[in-house]
Amino acid sequence: MTLLTIFLLACVTFGTRYLFLEGRLPIRLGPNVKHLLSFSGPAVLTAIAAPIIFVHQQQLHIAIDNPYLWGALAAIVAAYKTGSVYWTIGLGLLTFVLAGF
Amino acid sequence: MAIMSRGLAAASRKGAADMLPLSLAVLPWGILFGSLAVQRGFSWLEAQLFSGVIFGGAVQIVTVELIADNASLLTVLFSAFVISSRHFLYGLTLRERLSPQPLRWRLGLGFLLTDELFALSGDRRAYQSRFRLYYALGAGGSFYLAWNLWTFIGIVAGASLPDLTELGLDFAIAATFIALVVPEIKTLASLVTVLVAAAGGILFSLWHWELGLVCAALLAMLSGYLCAKLQGASS
Repeated sequence: MTLLTIFLLACVTFGTRYLFLEGRLPIRLGPNVKHLLSFSGPAVLTAIAAPIIFVHQQQLHIAIDNPYLWGALAAIVAAYKTGSVYWTIGLGLLTFVLAGF
Repeated sequence: MAIMSRGLAAASRKGAADMLPLSLAVLPWGILFGSLAVQRGFSWLEAQLFSGVIFGGAVQIVTVELIADNASLLTVLFSAFVISSRHFLYGLTLRERLSPQPLRWRLGLGFLLTDELFALSGDRRAYQSRFRLYYALGAGGSFYLAWNLWTFIGIVAGASLPDLTELGLDFAIAATFIALVVPEIKTLASLVTVLVAAAGGILFSLWHWELGLVCAALLAMLSGYLCAKLQGASS
């Protein structure tokens, strides 16, 4: 029974991932929809990252003792100045760890 | 031929390397899932299968709890559908580039299309060549192996490991996403998108809303789109 449920759940997650990758699905994306979708990357990533930085123990945590804020600030500055993924993650993590002490 | 396959191997290694911060960042959640599933009465095989065939994050934790609490099958599947609905957005975004690819690539990369793989799909040339496909395979495949390994550790360790989710490893996700998003903010429309997504993401997360992520993203996309349209109309 549990195995069947796991299999059905796998169908749900795979189905939602695969559906629009199927070329035979009879939909065509118009230029306006494509333009709208061009914003999906930054929108999704920011909507995932912002709560990691600002929400802890289900509370808004805006305070100078929140290392996530300092780390994120350093990462944003590093990303803006260098445009390098490695510098951004490196400086962000370093600041995060130092601010945590 | 040898040079070609060496290049493809290098491309998948690059994908795995770029994914590494995200693979490590989900370690606490993989372990949490494995130990939670065993503690809630699932066999180790069932627990591992969750990560092996469902391959989701929140969706696994939520459905394991629901099944253990004897929720109806319909409730379990519907919750999974709601949490997974954000994947429609990823599929739509990548449709142009992935739908012309051969079936085995669509099936394989479709299966591996997590938030994390979508995050690494922003490049204009993503999925546009064999190298780019192997890059995605290396990124998505390594993330799959990592998630299953963390789950396995959680299953074996059970309750003997402390909760690592408060350790701060999730900061690596935030830092990686910042690294991917900030250089893309080149227009007012993209700035508006990011600000609305941040505000919406925070607000909906405080509301504990399972559709929050999708709604915040859609709201942000619409804001950016309208901003670009208004600018186009006024210039």
